[in-house]
Amino acid sequence: MSARIMVIDDEKIVGDMAKISLEEEGYEVETFLSAAPALERLKEASFEIVVTDLKMKGIDGLEVLKTVKQLHPESKVIMITAFADLDVAIEAIKADVFDFFPKPVRIKELKESIRKALAE
Amino acid sequence: MTSLKQKIGSLMSRYSARHPARAVDVRAVFSSYKKIMDDNGRALEIMTDMGEKTGGGYLFDIVFTRDAYSDLAASVRVSLKDFNQLTAGRHPELEQAFEEIDSHINGLISGTYRSTERLSVPLGQVGPGIAREVGGKSFHLAELKNRLGLEVPDGFVLTVSAYEEFINHNGLGEIISTLEAGDDGPELLHELRERILAGSLPPALEQDLVRQLEQLSGVCGECRLAVRSSAEEEDDVFSFAGQFETVLNVPNEPGAVGQAYRRVLASLFSDEAVAYQRRLGYSPGGLRMAACVLAMVDATASGVAYSTDPLGGKEDLMLINSAWGLGKSVVEGSTAADMYKVERKPPFAVVDSAMGDKETMTCGLGGGGVLEKETPSEMRRTFSLEPKTIAEIARQVTVIEDYFHRPQDVEWAVDSSGRVIILQARPLRVRKGKASVEDRRMSASGTAPGTEEARPALAEHPVLMHDRGSVVQPGAVGGRVFLAGSPEALDEFPRGAILVAHNDSPQFVRVMPYASAIITDTGNTASHMASISREFRVPTVVGAGIATEALRPGAEITLRADEDGSMTVFQGIARELIDEQHDSFLKLEELYEFRRRKYLMKYIAPLNLVNPFTDDFSARNCRTIHDILRFIHEKSMQELIESSRHAEHGRSLKRLDIPFMDDIHVIDIGAGLSAGTGDLIVPEQVVSVPLNAILRGMSYPGAWRKGGVPISISDFLTASIRTGAMLENIDLNLAVISRLYMNLAVRFGYHYSIVDCYCSERPASNHIYFRFMGGAADISKRRRRIDMLAIILDHLGFITKVKGDMITGTISNIGQEEAVRILDQVGRLMAFTRQLDAMLVSDNVVRDYAQRFIDGDYDLFGKGDGQN
Repeated sequence: MSARIMVIDDEKIVGDMAKISLEEEGYEVETFLSAAPALERLKEASFEIVVTDLKMKGIDGLEVLKTVKQLHPESKVIMITAFADLDVAIEAIKADVFDFFPKPVRIKELKESIRKALAE
Repeated sequence: MTSLKQKIGSLMSRYSARHPARAVDVRAVFSSYKKIMDDNGRALEIMTDMGEKTGGGYLFDIVFTRDAYSDLAASVRVSLKDFNQLTAGRHPELEQAFEEIDSHINGLISGTYRSTERLSVPLGQVGPGIAREVGGKSFHLAELKNRLGLEVPDGFVLTVSAYEEFINHNGLGEIISTLEAGDDGPELLHELRERILAGSLPPALEQDLVRQLEQLSGVCGECRLAVRSSAEEEDDVFSFAGQFETVLNVPNEPGAVGQAYRRVLASLFSDEAVAYQRRLGYSPGGLRMAACVLAMVDATASGVAYSTDPLGGKEDLMLINSAWGLGKSVVEGSTAADMYKVERKPPFAVVDSAMGDKETMTCGLGGGGVLEKETPSEMRRTFSLEPKTIAEIARQVTVIEDYFHRPQDVEWAVDSSGRVIILQARPLRVRKGKASVEDRRMSASGTAPGTEEARPALAEHPVLMHDRGSVVQPGAVGGRVFLAGSPEALDEFPRGAILVAHNDSPQFVRVMPYASAIITDTGNTASHMASISREFRVPTVVGAGIATEALRPGAEITLRADEDGSMTVFQGIARELIDEQHDSFLKLEELYEFRRRKYLMKYIAPLNLVNPFTDDFSARNCRTIHDILRFIHEKSMQELIESSRHAEHGRSLKRLDIPFMDDIHVIDIGAGLSAGTGDLIVPEQVVSVPLNAILRGMSYPGAWRKGGVPISISDFLTASIRTGAMLENIDLNLAVISRLYMNLAVRFGYHYSIVDCYCSERPASNHIYFRFMGGAADISKRRRRIDMLAIILDHLGFITKVKGDMITGTISNIGQEEAVRILDQVGRLMAFTRQLDAMLVSDNVVRDYAQRFIDGDYDLFGKGDGQN
């Protein structure tokens, strides 16, 4: 199934690897190194899935989540973070993220999660 | 006879007096050894995990890398501390080696690290520590010179720091930032190149250059120079072949060399080179350029050698191209060179040759620069190399290939005195048929779609094995089965085959570049071989149990090993599986950032210290964390063996009564015997796992021949004279044991053996060490016996070394169950060998007897009373 996926992470390598792996599955992928331009992009286009880092300089993943839900309530958000921070994770889950992964994220699991999200 | 024995006795006591045994508290050494093995085991687990997580199957970031490495370094530090204590600080170089590696890795993690501020470094001073600063090409050349002792031109490197100084000094930083930001239009590149060519050298660099040139003329007089590019990563993952400039025949004058240097720097920004960098995932401007300045070889002939046919011909041969004069014509393909196909092993016979027309040859010009001129006609009709030079080139190329563990593309030259000089060595990409081994391996991504729908039904490819063992490196590949019985058999390894073996062994590193996949019956994912498999990305499954039985030699099979640990072996080449998961790995490899992050694994995972019996197995040669751990393991083991040999026994000595041989004296250093045993014990009271295993082997029906073995008087005399070297230990059979450890020294007849084994739950901590020496019989019989033992020990998976009539073998990284199986075999072997003295009458029987042992046929005397 073709779908549009946005990946936001302030480390280039994470976005690049995600892009390569997800394009391999036939998805269209756009990557961003920070939240601000990503949110700008969301004003003009919708993405079925937004994969975002939780802890980033400036706007963080929770704010991304809120904005996505506001602009595109049907989009699913998958949160990834370098810190398996349980409190934030719980808050994020309450706030309706579809899935949550501590880094390093097993690409195979991320793909499965995306498949499930798209199937819902 | 009695008088002879008395003589031996007096020899013995004289020898002992000269070599007083030191009494050692073996319990303390053993407990320290166990702790070190635990520390090492933890470190290996972290290392394995890092290798997996950064291998392509995971999204990882710098935080992961930093945290994981900091755990790893902490474990290694603990291990080092305990090791220093155990060895009383006898290996101070090890700590230095670790600190050096550690500071590199930390530098790579923080991204701020600069291993040298030096603007120039003589080639002889280049080591792994400054590999990035001197660029890939210079580093490889320095390794050939400094580590392998090969002849390479004298010279020095202008480092990447020099490049940065040059850029800053000439105010080019801004224009390069524009490039990095993505604007690389031809006008901008043109401007940048012009400004580099017109730039001036910073004063400090100018001074360095003058100094280095003076030093060089001190070594090679008036010689001309070659200024070559040596970009970061050049000749590493990608060859950048022909992308950057090389300036030949430059006079040794600062002005001329400075100009050549600027041309080399400018070539980093040629339109083609920038396009190439982009394609490989670099952001142009991000890559830095070092340069090496080398003395020109006054070459009578030169050319290129491929350590293997890059197009993968049927026979596995080396290719050498050669033409008269400087190598430029061959490298650039501007002349038809002579071509030789040469065998890859001594005596490097030429199996095929074709004379090229060599219409032109390149020569240096008096005033600098080179000229391509017409070759004199008599030279066009003559081969440019003599057979002995071809053999010498071939020999050096195999040395280089062995060292870098990869097929090599080598530029060489022959000077007027006939010496072979290596100008450059870089990895060679090999192709095999349509898809190369390399490509197919790279296509084996860690991100295989492993879902049900992704597994097509394979009616025409029956399943031969399913879900056995542990996946070390995932991938889906096809190839022919090659059963590796012994290390020598690897010489015959056909490119692209799937290596199937009973044990995993670091010796397989020799064929890794050629293997499509590896499957072993035993072994574990933290073994040395496993980490090498990951390094080379060879799909590998270990501990598969039945591979050597289930897979027929020569049969075509397809291995599918998934990242989630599932594996299947199909009969035949299942192309649909192999093609299904195409080249996401290639793409990952092309991410500069991915390589940069992975780069630090180069300081962690590769294992250079493979064979403990070679001279380069030293603390000084530890270049990775893995090397450090391996060194600690080996030396700790030796320490333990040594201390067991000198164990202080006193009151704790017990006697084990064995019906078929002299008593074994036992020192129990921890739960090796069942509780409440008296001074005299029987085999049933032995709890020690390794001692039990070896006793079981020694008493195996048939392996032990009752009664003495006939021995001639002359053999006995030889034995008596020769035993001098081992008199220290000859007085009694002794075993130092715990539940999981054993050091056993026994004398059977005139042979003397030591077996040392630790077999815990953690394979990475375990080892078996076996030494056999001495013995009666004349020199040829002794040599045959050692030959026979070598065949059998190799078969059992030992790495062996023969010295005179002594053979030593070790196995490390071995599961408990497997260790027990091998000890049982070693026990049988010790018993079996006992009857051999009189039997090894000719060279022909050596292989036959070895095979009979391997087949479990121990009765060499045939039925009946067993006399000749």
